[in-house]
Amino acid sequence: MSTINRRNFVKLLASAPLASVLTVPTAARAADAKRVVVIGGGFGGATAAKYVNRMDPKIKVTLIEANKTYVSCPLSNEVISGHRAIETLHAGYDNLAKRGIEVVNDLVTEIDPAKKSVKTKGGKTIGYDALVVSPGVDFNYGAIEGYSEAVAAEIPHAYKAGEQTLLLKKQLEAMPDGGLFVIAVPKGPFRCPPGPYERAAQVAEYCKKHGKTKSKVLILDANDTFAKKGLFEQGWAALYPGMIEWVPASKDGKVVKIDPKTKTAFTELGDHKAAVLNVIPPQVAGGIAKAAGLTNAAGWCEIQPSSMESAVHKGIYVVGDSCVGGELPTYPFPKSAHMAMTQAKVAAGAIVASLNGVAAPVPYYANTCYSLVAADYGISVVQVYRVENNKFVYVKEAGGVSPTDALPIQRKLEAEYADGWFRNVMADAFG
Amino acid sequence: MRTTLLLSLGAAGLLAASGGVTADNIRPLAETCNNCHGVDGVSAGHSMPSIAGLPVKYLTEVMLEWKKGERFSTTMARLLKGYTDEEITGLAKHYAALPWKPVPQELKAKWIKEGSFIVDRCSKCHGETGAEPDDDETPRLDGQWARYMELELMKYRDKDVKLPHEKMRKTTMKLSEEEVGYMNHYFASAPKATGKKKDDKK
Repeated sequence: MSTINRRNFVKLLASAPLASVLTVPTAARAADAKRVVVIGGGFGGATAAKYVNRMDPKIKVTLIEANKTYVSCPLSNEVISGHRAIETLHAGYDNLAKRGIEVVNDLVTEIDPAKKSVKTKGGKTIGYDALVVSPGVDFNYGAIEGYSEAVAAEIPHAYKAGEQTLLLKKQLEAMPDGGLFVIAVPKGPFRCPPGPYERAAQVAEYCKKHGKTKSKVLILDANDTFAKKGLFEQGWAALYPGMIEWVPASKDGKVVKIDPKTKTAFTELGDHKAAVLNVIPPQVAGGIAKAAGLTNAAGWCEIQPSSMESAVHKGIYVVGDSCVGGELPTYPFPKSAHMAMTQAKVAAGAIVASLNGVAAPVPYYANTCYSLVAADYGISVVQVYRVENNKFVYVKEAGGVSPTDALPIQRKLEAEYADGWFRNVMADAFG
Repeated sequence: MRTTLLLSLGAAGLLAASGGVTADNIRPLAETCNNCHGVDGVSAGHSMPSIAGLPVKYLTEVMLEWKKGERFSTTMARLLKGYTDEEITGLAKHYAALPWKPVPQELKAKWIKEGSFIVDRCSKCHGETGAEPDDDETPRLDGQWARYMELELMKYRDKDVKLPHEKMRKTTMKLSEEEVGYMNHYFASAPKATGKKKDDKK
């Protein structure tokens, strides 16, 4: 790789919006048009497709996604409480298509890393020069006796947004005053680490507002701590005193079995009869990642810190909830939309560099994640990671959660910023 | 003091490891900012400011104040403490060089008009249309999100919120609740682009 090539490439990247008027690096001009295939159109996949296209419009980008409409998981707890209409969480793929990205409404059933091609349910075989795998998570229903995908039609997980979210909302609305709302939390890691605890707050807020003041939320947890714990407990106590109870694994919180008919959750030693039973199953990387041999023994995809390239197969990049990264084991990447998007941008930069035969750009990873304890009460966590010698370093000087002794205005501002963040990530990924 | 020294040494170590700050470091770093501040710094969210095209000095100062804990922030300090001063300066230059784009938004015509009558409360520093601030430390306001400006003024009007700019605090304290709304809508309407200047009041 020559210095001149690299400099040209930098110029191209820096002026991506104007790229059509720029010259192509010699290496790229000589080669045939390259193709990048992206599996999965969530925050990670959509962002990867868009940023490859932005950085080098000459690369053909194909995004393969089974659904025509994406429903955001972030802020979907607000739909359950009635603060937000589900339509505000919808995104389509028309804008990406207008950018010149080929959007294929299909499901990938097979990846052939040797032949560099994917096969779809619809019978297509599509070759790639680089592949981005962003399938999100799969649920391991079998880990909880009595639970299954079919049972989830009555006992919702509401951990993939859409019908499931609306089902849980309907059940909450139908819950009588005094009814017990049980949330079963799986052993981590799972997507949206603060999600179950934000949900508890949103449910309590709904109950408070709709005269169901005798109702309670019981969180049965397979873990002994949780994201933003101090802040949630402070917020719960301030806004919903006595309404939310958290039972850690060490106090028999782990749900091992459910009876869908009676809506009973069984732990090792006890049973809890619910009016609404919300069971979030344990999670692993999306099935296609496992089928392609990209997963480790724990079910997640290990990646190269400098590029998001799979530790198993060259030319395959895994982003979003299905990957495992960060400074392990203490500071893992949280499975969040924001994290998925910064991973996708690193992957896109590395792919474009690789296809143009130049060095990958410096990778930058950061996370910002807001949770809404109430409509006007937000809390957040920030993580910044850097890469040194191809190893993740969690920057301890940065990051952390909102202070527990914050000014009241901070809670209000963070609730406002949650909405601003959401509109911007939607526009950034799907716009 | 000791902590500061150690921190900056740590940052220098990271910098050395990443090969120094160049234009090709800043682009991927800036792309992480897009998540909250919009693609190329033009925000799509009412509560989040657009940052493309703001003065380089303003951007640099605000970010360094956050990093040093001299200015109240919710998340920005926690993010910026992860980056070197060189990277922060690079980001400021990057965004300052991008074009300022007023964002289309729903505004109240009456408030815009009322705001135009009292623009002299803000115009000494931000300019009559918000488009020509009188120095490089002052942000332009024309076509910025009204909701964002409202939240900023809420901070300035809360005495417990640590903000270094005393003049701005004093000025905002003098405004009534209604006037705050009028000013935000006036500047958000991008009066320069739409030709609604102070003279239009007759």
